[in-house]
Amino acid sequence: MLFDLLKEMSALNSVAGDENEVRDYIIKKLKNTECEIKTDNIGNLLVYKKGKKAFKNKIMLAAHMDEVGFMANYIDSDGYISISPVGGISPAVVMGRQIRFKSGIIGVIGGKPVHLLEGDEKTEQPKISKLYADIGANSREECEIYVNLGDPAYFVSEYFEFGNGFIKGKALDDRFGCAVMLSLLLNENEYNFDLDLHYAFTVQEEVGTRGAAAAVYNVKPDMALVLEATTACDVAGVSGEKKVCVLGGGPVVSFMDRGAVYDRELYDLAFKIAAESGIKCQTKTQIAGGNDAGAIHKAVGGVRTIAVSAPCRYLHSPSCVLSAEDCKQTLALTEKLIVKMAVL
Amino acid sequence: MIESLCKTLCGVPGVSGAEFPASETARLLLSEYMPDAAVDPFGNVTGSLIIDKNLPSILLDAHIDEIGMAVTYIEDEGFLRIGRVGGLDFRVLPAQTVTVWASLSDKPLKGIVCTLPPHVAEDAQKAVKEADVAIDTGYSKEELEKLCLPGDRITVDSEFIKLLSGRISSHSLDDRSGAASILYALGILKGKGHKDLKYNIKVVFTAQEELGGRGAIIAAYNAAPEYAISVDVSYGLQPGTDERKAGKLGKGAMLGISPVLDREMFLSMKRLAEENDIPYQIEVMSRLTGTNADEIGINRGGVRCALLSLPERNMHMPVELLQISDIEAVGKLIALYLEREAV
Repeated sequence: MLFDLLKEMSALNSVAGDENEVRDYIIKKLKNTECEIKTDNIGNLLVYKKGKKAFKNKIMLAAHMDEVGFMANYIDSDGYISISPVGGISPAVVMGRQIRFKSGIIGVIGGKPVHLLEGDEKTEQPKISKLYADIGANSREECEIYVNLGDPAYFVSEYFEFGNGFIKGKALDDRFGCAVMLSLLLNENEYNFDLDLHYAFTVQEEVGTRGAAAAVYNVKPDMALVLEATTACDVAGVSGEKKVCVLGGGPVVSFMDRGAVYDRELYDLAFKIAAESGIKCQTKTQIAGGNDAGAIHKAVGGVRTIAVSAPCRYLHSPSCVLSAEDCKQTLALTEKLIVKMAVL
Repeated sequence: MIESLCKTLCGVPGVSGAEFPASETARLLLSEYMPDAAVDPFGNVTGSLIIDKNLPSILLDAHIDEIGMAVTYIEDEGFLRIGRVGGLDFRVLPAQTVTVWASLSDKPLKGIVCTLPPHVAEDAQKAVKEADVAIDTGYSKEELEKLCLPGDRITVDSEFIKLLSGRISSHSLDDRSGAASILYALGILKGKGHKDLKYNIKVVFTAQEELGGRGAIIAAYNAAPEYAISVDVSYGLQPGTDERKAGKLGKGAMLGISPVLDREMFLSMKRLAEENDIPYQIEVMSRLTGTNADEIGINRGGVRCALLSLPERNMHMPVELLQISDIEAVGKLIALYLEREAV
């Protein structure tokens, strides 16, 4: 079920401020469950699943619904569309691709051909501000029939399995986290938690973990478990600590990143559970990146927070790559961790 | 018809030096007009239509090869290293999905071009260099050694799509669109029953143009024509290019003028276009054209060459872009040219 959910959600288009598609999908999936569902003012989807009893610690799980994408910020008189990234995107993964605008129309992002480059241009990576989408329009008026200023746009990218147990798709950051949460919510028999659980499907993470700030205020948990896809740099030419974490190394439980110092007791607990259950577990070998934990841990008088992530290559590109085994193990660790966290 | 010809031709791999799948597809399409359509040992697709031995012969040329990469090495950690085949644009590679045409595997492999995310990337201003490109296939070294060999070609995946204004975008439109224009011309002539032809027609869809017109040298020698018309893509106006160097999409066939092209043929082409209301534009190149015409012109005792080009945006990227009406203009012009007395 985890992978079916992941595949379906990877195909949905939701950037910060425009999370409707993913939110509506989740609401639809939860239709026949007995959860309390509400959407808060900023667009977070807050789900409460009542357990058999209340436990000592109120726990909130969090994953963000938004992916990195683009916005049309200007249409010139020839019908070319200037785009800006919504979230952090490297210009190298933008040029030479197709993006799909809200209306469904696809534009290609090309540029001055390599043969015509002069001097420094030959080794330069053009900035996103110099790139534009071409839908084949000849004028601004023609373009505006299909694309308006402010329209979001998304990478066009097919989800598929490849190699020996690997998955590629767009938006796996953080549809993976959402898929884990949905798996826990929908799998009645497997995850029939005794405890009450709050699930926050947050918005606007990619533009500053904003939804999480509102979500944590609305839920006021004692503890939070953030589910993410986190950056793995275990690619050719990278060695040692620069890999950050590795695919095949199991779920990533970080002690610190640029947004949060994680709760040490929860961190140790995660590794203890992993060791006892035969789950491979790793930490990040660089202090880098950040996620909703950054907003959550310091809100409402303090929330003890941990993040459990699947290591993911090529983050913030159309081709995020996860290991299927890591995904399964991340779900397994999460389920065991929640149960122990509740009674800490 | 042109759109579907382009889509079919762009849908098969044929990286320089390993053109077979594309050559075979093109041969099949050519065989509808030239029953002797064949693929030579170098990957050139050849065919002929001999009307009358007293007529002069003309060679219609487009190249069938596309740019790409080749596997050069398998790292211990399973990543593939590559060498470029043709003038690849490295700026567009990071995080692209690619297909590795793995010769020992029963089906092609999918791969992703490695890259580092913005959170840790060191120098976002510099484009990746060939030596730093690596492909992630999700396999270990041991697994890969059973699936692929050095030299196996790699292409960047991109869906063939239709845009507004009758434009299409895909990889390999350079120069499968040229081949499509020739097939379209042959279709017109067949439809008219080959009535008014003033030439014996030979066709070649060449191999290895992207490596320096090598297939053309071989094919032109074997075809031994007196005249030739090459069709290739040229620069289409887009931001960053200027009118002086690029043709406009939708404004028709770019007729080439160059010291290495035959001026009489150009003038005849131009007159034909004007007389028949075929949209055209003029492309002036003061030196070599950078196409097969350069090689064909000095074949054997010399060949009189004309060059028709298609204005194309985003050359050598997976999102090359052209307008169908321009391909149509080139095809129509070729068909008309073949029905007019040689100059």
